[in-house]
Amino acid sequence: MIKTDVIIIGGGATGCGIARDLALRGVPHCLVEKGDFANGATGACHGLLHSGGRYVVNDPVAASECISENAILRKIAQKCVERTGGLFVRLPGDSKKYRDAFLKNCEEVGIATEVLSPSRALDLVPELNPAIEEAISVPDCSIDPFRLCMLNAYTSRRKGGGILIHHRVIDVIREKGMCVGVKVEDRSTSQVKEIRAKMIINASGAWGDVIARMGGSEVPMTLSKGSLIITNHRLTNMVINRLRTPSDGDIIVPNEAVCLAGTTSIRVDDPDAVEVDAAEVDLVATQAEQMIPRFGSTRLIRAYTGVRPLLKAESSDSRSISRGFRIIDHKNGMISIMGGKLSTYRLMAEKTVDAVMGVFGIKARCRTADLPLDGQDELTGYPLSKRLKSIDSVVCECELVDREAVENTINSLGTGYIGDIQHRTRLGMGPCQGGFCTYRALGIMQEAGRMSPAESIETLKTFLQRRFRGIRPALWGDQLREEQLVESIYLGILNMGQRP
Amino acid sequence: MSRYEYDAVVVGGGVSGIMAALTLSDKGFKVALVSKGDPVCCLSTGCIDVMTGSGGPLKGIAGLPADHPYRRAGEETIREALGSFLKIMEKGGLPYTGTVEENRRIITPIGTAKHTCLVPMTMAGAHFDEGEYLHVVSFKGIRDFYPSYITSRMRNSSFSVFDAGVSTTMGIAAKFEDEGFLSRFISWLQGIENPYDRLALPAVLGLSNPVRVMKRISEATGRQVLELPTLPPSIPGLRLFRTLKAALQARGGHLYWGKGVSSVESQGGQIEALTLATTARAARVQGRAFILATGSFVSGGLYAGRDSVKETVFGLPVFHPAERRDWFHTDFFTPGHAIEKAGIEVDDCFRPLGADVQNLFVCGSILARSEVMKNQCGHGLAIATGVAAAQACARGLA
Repeated sequence: MIKTDVIIIGGGATGCGIARDLALRGVPHCLVEKGDFANGATGACHGLLHSGGRYVVNDPVAASECISENAILRKIAQKCVERTGGLFVRLPGDSKKYRDAFLKNCEEVGIATEVLSPSRALDLVPELNPAIEEAISVPDCSIDPFRLCMLNAYTSRRKGGGILIHHRVIDVIREKGMCVGVKVEDRSTSQVKEIRAKMIINASGAWGDVIARMGGSEVPMTLSKGSLIITNHRLTNMVINRLRTPSDGDIIVPNEAVCLAGTTSIRVDDPDAVEVDAAEVDLVATQAEQMIPRFGSTRLIRAYTGVRPLLKAESSDSRSISRGFRIIDHKNGMISIMGGKLSTYRLMAEKTVDAVMGVFGIKARCRTADLPLDGQDELTGYPLSKRLKSIDSVVCECELVDREAVENTINSLGTGYIGDIQHRTRLGMGPCQGGFCTYRALGIMQEAGRMSPAESIETLKTFLQRRFRGIRPALWGDQLREEQLVESIYLGILNMGQRP
Repeated sequence: MSRYEYDAVVVGGGVSGIMAALTLSDKGFKVALVSKGDPVCCLSTGCIDVMTGSGGPLKGIAGLPADHPYRRAGEETIREALGSFLKIMEKGGLPYTGTVEENRRIITPIGTAKHTCLVPMTMAGAHFDEGEYLHVVSFKGIRDFYPSYITSRMRNSSFSVFDAGVSTTMGIAAKFEDEGFLSRFISWLQGIENPYDRLALPAVLGLSNPVRVMKRISEATGRQVLELPTLPPSIPGLRLFRTLKAALQARGGHLYWGKGVSSVESQGGQIEALTLATTARAARVQGRAFILATGSFVSGGLYAGRDSVKETVFGLPVFHPAERRDWFHTDFFTPGHAIEKAGIEVDDCFRPLGADVQNLFVCGSILARSEVMKNQCGHGLAIATGVAAAQACARGLA
């Protein structure tokens, strides 16, 4: 049994942010996450550090939170944030009234803007639709959600906090009506562990209600599925937004060598509903194409979806539901943090920990905005020159990950999860989506003794199935070619369909 | 512009196109073969899969729908085509073994069994039998071959690893061309402990004459030596392609390699000439008849847009499942994704339907309803329909 002061459930940006905040305030804690970091909505979003422009007309409070957090994260998370800047582009037919309200509110909230002529905007982003009426620049940035979670967790680990990934909460332990701990299952060994604490923080996002119910209460929330697509190329160096009332498919974000475009917004009941429909892909691609015409002819490498945990509202249109957040003290030893967005994760963590401090009667100031994230100096990024030590030992050709990088990750994490290697090395993130290299990485894993050959093949099967779910809705053009080649390997050469 | 004239012009340099060109060339026609580049058969195992099924390929084919290209070719042509293929390979120094009467199960790199029909002589001993004795030799750092996948599934097996100094299949195969390397490898082999009769290696025994390398090792060690198929790029696939290409060159077929078709001239239901895009001077290749053998999606004969499928050379009408959401099953492993049926529909003479061209014949995996992956019939279908389309073309030319 593990004993600590605070249990955090959820390894997304909020959960990891809370862990860092608690660590800096000297409160012992333990974070549990059923998958890897950024497993839920954190890892399935645009990776956009909002300037607040998107919310400024309909929700100035959220916009104000965004711009102040934007300034903080630029400062404390330099290795996670790419200062791309963003444009809001107005296409023919888009409301001029909305544009006027946008500029006025930005001024009031404090978001720096500049109105650009089409030709100035095209100088900045040559692939923009030349038919735009105008563009307004804002300080949007691209942010790496996975790295952000890792670095927040790094501080927690350094200060002695427990971080248990691949541990699923199977029950909340209650005594006399109070939540006093959790039972977690280690997913790699199926071993059940007990963790006890004075307080449980439910930061499990879309699974919030499931966890709250284990503790004997509930949280009112609306789940909204948002789907995105990834192009094989970086078509813009700036974030591109559509200057109109927030709608489907109106944001494009550059990230490393690719672009992400989205999203959709569809109400769902199941937090595990992660299928993307072909129609959603078409919708997002068609919308993105209006801002960047080449989007329509660029190879898509896959589609993905995340489930946003929104605060419950009467409205049936999930776009109009506030993206603000709320802290609910269930008065039973559990506090839930609900709603919000990646850009304001730090603020959400601060307010949550403030609430915990209140319950504990401790006075300790939040320091997360003042100190840079730990561990950033050790991040080198992935310059090609460093990746390509020897062409012969490259395991993943798309992202240039070599055998040494794979072996180091396997050994340092002691992991048996292929996803852990993918997240940390970018293995399998390129155009073939792990079609070639996952087989190799698993081969290396079983040679390293992390799994038996039979387990390795089973893992490969599961991976191929999951991978296919992501690329199937976006299969045409060159991606379809690639897919047929991948099929010929696994179903043909290796006969993994196991025909008689 | 340079101008050339032929009886028949074949577009596509894969197994089907070369077999069609060879068939026409054998009948005395002047043949040209146009290819954008090296074909996708270099990515294959090099084995000739004819049709999956434990009852043998012919039984499997008999069970196919009547509009499947195999049924259109007919059993007699299939037998004749495969027979002719075996002769070509024998003569080309890359002998194959097997018969169309039955399938064999060979060992895959993950220790599963895969059905195939004709195999290169070096894979003759690669039959799958969980009880039989097998020693696997792998190479240090090789990316796509992990011998424990095989040995963990076979009761009486073991493996050793040789350091060839390189780790790609291509690099290792090139080393086996070198006599000194081969001798070093053999003396290493003689030093390892191997209680088993069969000695299996990934398919890297040289680029040009694997049978010679296999025999050398076999004689020196007193063991039966065999190659196992590997993932792409595959050396047996490359050898297959090179041998077929050399056979065509030996028969005087003209090759236009590395050149795509940039425009097509036709008049009154007849295709007259193709213009080939080159970096320097465009070439106009004129023919009395044409054969389309550009393959399916992977090789670029077909190209899928968001909601439609195009044939990339002649713009022929393409049969395909209408809605993109129906192209693939939701399950990766369910055989027979609907998109596999996409392709060119033809008449009994392998001429495209709905296109109003009399002198164009279509063969290989670009044919509609061939379902190559589901039926595991890639090279077999290429060979059979390549010969069948060439025969129909020859009748038209006569």
